[in-house]
Amino acid sequence: MADMNRERHRTRETAFYLFTQQSLPACKPVLTPGWVITIFLFMGLIFIPVGLITLRASHSVVEIVDRYDTECVPEAFRIDKISYIQDDSIPKNCSRFMKVHKYMKAPIYIYYQLDNYYQNHRRYVKSRSDKQLLHGQKYHDTSSCQPVELNSGQPIVPCGLIAWSLFNDSFTFIRERAELKVNRKNIAWKSDRDHKFGKNVHPFNFQNGTLIGGGKLNPKIPLSDQEDLIVWMRTSALPSFRKLYGRIEEDLDADDVIVVNLMNNYNTYSFGGKKKLVLSTSSWLGGKNDFLGHACVIIGSSSLILAIVFTLLHLKYRRPHGDTSYLPWNRKSLSG
Amino acid sequence: MCLLGAMGSGIFIDRKYFYLGLRQNVEDQFNPSKRFLVIILTMLTLLTLYSTIIPISLYVSIETIKFIQSSQFINKDLNMYHAETNTPASARTSNLNEELGQVEYIFSDKTGTLTRNLMEFFKCSIGGEIYGIGMTEIEKGVTERKGIKVQEVQTSNDSVQEKGFNFYDGRLLRGAWRNEPNHDACKEFFRCLAICHTVLPEGEESPAKIKYQAASPDEAALVLAAKNFGFFFYRRTPSMIYVRESHAERMGKTQDVSYEILNVLEFNSTRKRQSVVCRCPDGRLVLYCKGADTVIYERLGSGNDDLNKATRDHLEQFGSAGLRTLCLAYRDLAPDLYESWNEKFIKAKSSLRDREKKLDEVAELIEKELILIGATAIEDKLQEGVPSCIQTLSRAGIKIWVLTGDKMETAINIAYACNLLNNEMKQFIISSETDAIREVEERGDQTEIACFIKEDVKKQLKQSLDEASQYFCAPSGPKLGLVIDGKCLTYALDSSLRIMLLTLGLNCASVVCCRVSPLQKAQVTSLVKKGAHKITLSIGDGANDVSMIQAAHIGIGISGLEGMQAVMASDFAIAQFRFLEDLLLVHGRWSYIRLCKVVMYFFYKNLAFTLTQFWFTFNTGFSGQRFYDDWFQSLYNVIFTALPVIIVGLFDKDISPPLSKKYPELYKEGIRNKFFKWRVVAIWAFFSIYQSLVFFYFISAFSSTSQDRSGKMFGLWDVSTMAFTCVVVTINLRLLMMCNSITRWHCISVGGSILVWFVFIFLYSGITTPLDRNENMYWVIYILMSTPSFYVTLLLVPVAALLVDFLYLCVQRWFFPYDYQIIQEMHKDDIHCTGPQGVLGSKQQLIPDEERSNEISQLPREVSKHSGFAFDSPGYESFFASQSGKYVTPNAWDVARRASIRHKATPK
Repeated sequence: MADMNRERHRTRETAFYLFTQQSLPACKPVLTPGWVITIFLFMGLIFIPVGLITLRASHSVVEIVDRYDTECVPEAFRIDKISYIQDDSIPKNCSRFMKVHKYMKAPIYIYYQLDNYYQNHRRYVKSRSDKQLLHGQKYHDTSSCQPVELNSGQPIVPCGLIAWSLFNDSFTFIRERAELKVNRKNIAWKSDRDHKFGKNVHPFNFQNGTLIGGGKLNPKIPLSDQEDLIVWMRTSALPSFRKLYGRIEEDLDADDVIVVNLMNNYNTYSFGGKKKLVLSTSSWLGGKNDFLGHACVIIGSSSLILAIVFTLLHLKYRRPHGDTSYLPWNRKSLSG
Repeated sequence: MCLLGAMGSGIFIDRKYFYLGLRQNVEDQFNPSKRFLVIILTMLTLLTLYSTIIPISLYVSIETIKFIQSSQFINKDLNMYHAETNTPASARTSNLNEELGQVEYIFSDKTGTLTRNLMEFFKCSIGGEIYGIGMTEIEKGVTERKGIKVQEVQTSNDSVQEKGFNFYDGRLLRGAWRNEPNHDACKEFFRCLAICHTVLPEGEESPAKIKYQAASPDEAALVLAAKNFGFFFYRRTPSMIYVRESHAERMGKTQDVSYEILNVLEFNSTRKRQSVVCRCPDGRLVLYCKGADTVIYERLGSGNDDLNKATRDHLEQFGSAGLRTLCLAYRDLAPDLYESWNEKFIKAKSSLRDREKKLDEVAELIEKELILIGATAIEDKLQEGVPSCIQTLSRAGIKIWVLTGDKMETAINIAYACNLLNNEMKQFIISSETDAIREVEERGDQTEIACFIKEDVKKQLKQSLDEASQYFCAPSGPKLGLVIDGKCLTYALDSSLRIMLLTLGLNCASVVCCRVSPLQKAQVTSLVKKGAHKITLSIGDGANDVSMIQAAHIGIGISGLEGMQAVMASDFAIAQFRFLEDLLLVHGRWSYIRLCKVVMYFFYKNLAFTLTQFWFTFNTGFSGQRFYDDWFQSLYNVIFTALPVIIVGLFDKDISPPLSKKYPELYKEGIRNKFFKWRVVAIWAFFSIYQSLVFFYFISAFSSTSQDRSGKMFGLWDVSTMAFTCVVVTINLRLLMMCNSITRWHCISVGGSILVWFVFIFLYSGITTPLDRNENMYWVIYILMSTPSFYVTLLLVPVAALLVDFLYLCVQRWFFPYDYQIIQEMHKDDIHCTGPQGVLGSKQQLIPDEERSNEISQLPREVSKHSGFAFDSPGYESFFASQSGKYVTPNAWDVARRASIRHKATPK
């Protein structure tokens, strides 16, 4: 026991000695040409396959995008779209045709995409009350919800700009006169549904004040089941974003024509935003996104090219490593 | 950046974004009708948002690094531990470490710093024959440079070893001189040593126990030498000197002889000699004289030219070896001649006016027709390793100025001994001891003296500068050396001449200032400090160096011997001058490189991090929304990237200590501040901009579609967490890329930092407390980690970000290598050895440069003569003080010095 203690003490002392004398064992990587070429080769060999795999995944995804915000305004209102969208008396329904160009395997995801919509604006992002969303009226301090906080003296549930501006276009899909079933459950992250939105919180006074923004909510359904709201309230990172609307759980064949009946309620005209409808399948890597694959391939191939360039350089203009004649004081003495 | 964002916000804000609720009761920051106010307020918001670019933790980290560097590395370095006095180096302040790596000018005191203040009788020349087989350090250096290995002279066990006597030659010791062909000259030589002096014996009258009290240590060394040669001076009365002579008449015979001292012609700085007239017991009248070779040779009698010439050659040999020489001569006096002279002498001595001058004149009358006996060579014992240290430092591009209170000859001598001056150098000597000045001084008019000296100094400076300027441009011209004395310095430091002095001084490889007061030491130091804008370092040991130590950027005290004043005033204390090499070339250089790396890395990591935030601002309508969670942002510098950089600041080593001492030229990189230039900053800034673009745009590009099979989309906080993860990983990996040596602590800290981030985010997004639920971040990381694209991104983004950095490193190393990188490559395969064997082993081989300089040194060239006379006149410091009038108070340091000595002595 004493021996062990002494042994331990000695090792600690040696370690400290090495520390103070600054002679800790260390590996000293020197970037020799060999290493450089090997590393570049290695990176090339890793990233090209990875890139190809991700590209393949991305290519397997079929995506149909349809911008409908301009087309869905009747000809008469094309000049003044804002008055059209703000006039409740005008019917907002609209029909679009989408052609499936390739076989799409279920589930097919329906997204609405908004462009030039700053969901990440500071005033917007902070205008919500997470506690109210969870606890409902029991939680009274809703000052963060400015400027959409109170309705006739009572806090709005759910309060805040984000909820107030809820997206309220709706879509139905018809294929060959038969309506496609759209599953609108499970479109929000489970963690949001279970832990952020209360099961007993009902939007009893939502959107019935003086200023009406976006969509309304069914006061009977608790917030935790209002998945549209939950999706909407997970604010996006960029001013151009997609949000999940639902899923079509039937396969679509190539050359199918889908008729989309939509209610063009949501006002993007006042700030020049775009609205798009997206139908997309999904791979293990998510939606159609070539960027990742391209980036990988570019990095991989440029590494390979660099490896080749360095090899050629090494063969042709070889700098003798550790050549003292490169040292400035030697250089000087040679020239002088 | 803030301004740009703020302007953007002012333009962006508009009522048309109905979802922002800008119609009624809008607070000022987003009120579209008050755009100017919007700009101002957003500016403030962005200021706080981008505040991460100023790394507050940088100060903490740097202080930590410096503290550990000084307290653990410098203080505990065994290479700087002096075992004899049991003194380790000690860093008394921790904020100058990196400046140690950039020193260009060293101001050094002489006594106690370069030398041990110990005179040793080392060699002599008697009757045209050199005795003494020792070698001075400088001679060793010369022979070593010629490639001859120095054989340690084996002093046999029975040789005499005594402090102040470092002489061995079997031909002279223990009476063996009697067998020499010139034994009569030897006898006269020893007698002269034993008689011609002003030393007082103290203590018991036996050779082992006697102590000599002398005004100058040279004299003591000479008398000591006489004792060791068998002429033991043991008693002095006002008129008699008693000498116990061994082997004088016969081998083995000892007899006490008393010499009657008739006259003593004292030493002073104009006479440069000292004579004693004595009457031997046999009635013979002899004048023994010792003094500078120049004055003695003027007064030699005719004949004996061979001997004189041989001795002169020897004197030059001694002088260039850095020894202090004295010539010994005698003259037999006829009684009547002496009597007539003695009358004049007594008259002069009793005169009331101009006594000194008259005495000098009388002395001239008798000190002539001398017969040369020989010459002594005394070694002003240097501190161990001083010449080689100075040579290494000058190879490192450091210029050394010696500032000493000693007189010019001594200073020059030491400069020779330390390799600061040599005969191949072009030397400029600006001295006040010229005949013209002396003449004016004798007239005694203070203002006239001042004016004259000033003019003279101006003339000399101008002349030197003109001459020197033709060498400035020529690369292969001789090195320049400047010697200036304190009196001239008083005038040269005047504001009108200051520039000239500075220009001349800065272009000289070494400068020697002699007879300077402590105040002048400080003045010279601050002149260079302010004029050259370079880091200066002062090193000294005594109380008289305190002002100089405080004036320089870095003050170094020699600890262990003389008092504590210098140490108390200093920033670092070392026991020996030679430790300066370790302190500067190893610790200073490392500290400098490390701190540069740390600062640069801090700059880079904060810029890269903040810029991602900046790019995000463009995508939020310039509203100042934060990209990262508050906690991410505040912990980024404190936890996720803090430790590894400290580890680098402590452990990064480009090359090992023996190598940095072997290639002192590497130190020049620090003097030129090569690692902290705008170019370096710009390169780092470029990489941080590039990387932040990669972080932000790669990740936002991915996030435009869903990330897994469920088709659900990411929100703001998912994207920002992903970006932050990539930032933390990349920034930490970048650190590893810039390390020269990677210990396991590097790996642990880098790996640990990344791990800590993951642990943090797991807990942070997983745990909800009733008090503070962070809804934004809830479950974010688990959502991210459930998608495969997270992993692909995590692999891709750091590599994409670092690829360009890596390419830069490769190209830089391949085509524009730093000096240290070449050295690294040369010694890549060396086994890392810490022991001294490594140093010795590597010293054997000559690098091409050395070979070349050897060849040059063997070429014949014009050699200036330097014979090495340097005899201290007693009380030179007080002499100086009285001369220059205004420095009456400087005597305080004398008092302090004495006090410190006494203080040191009492505890024993």
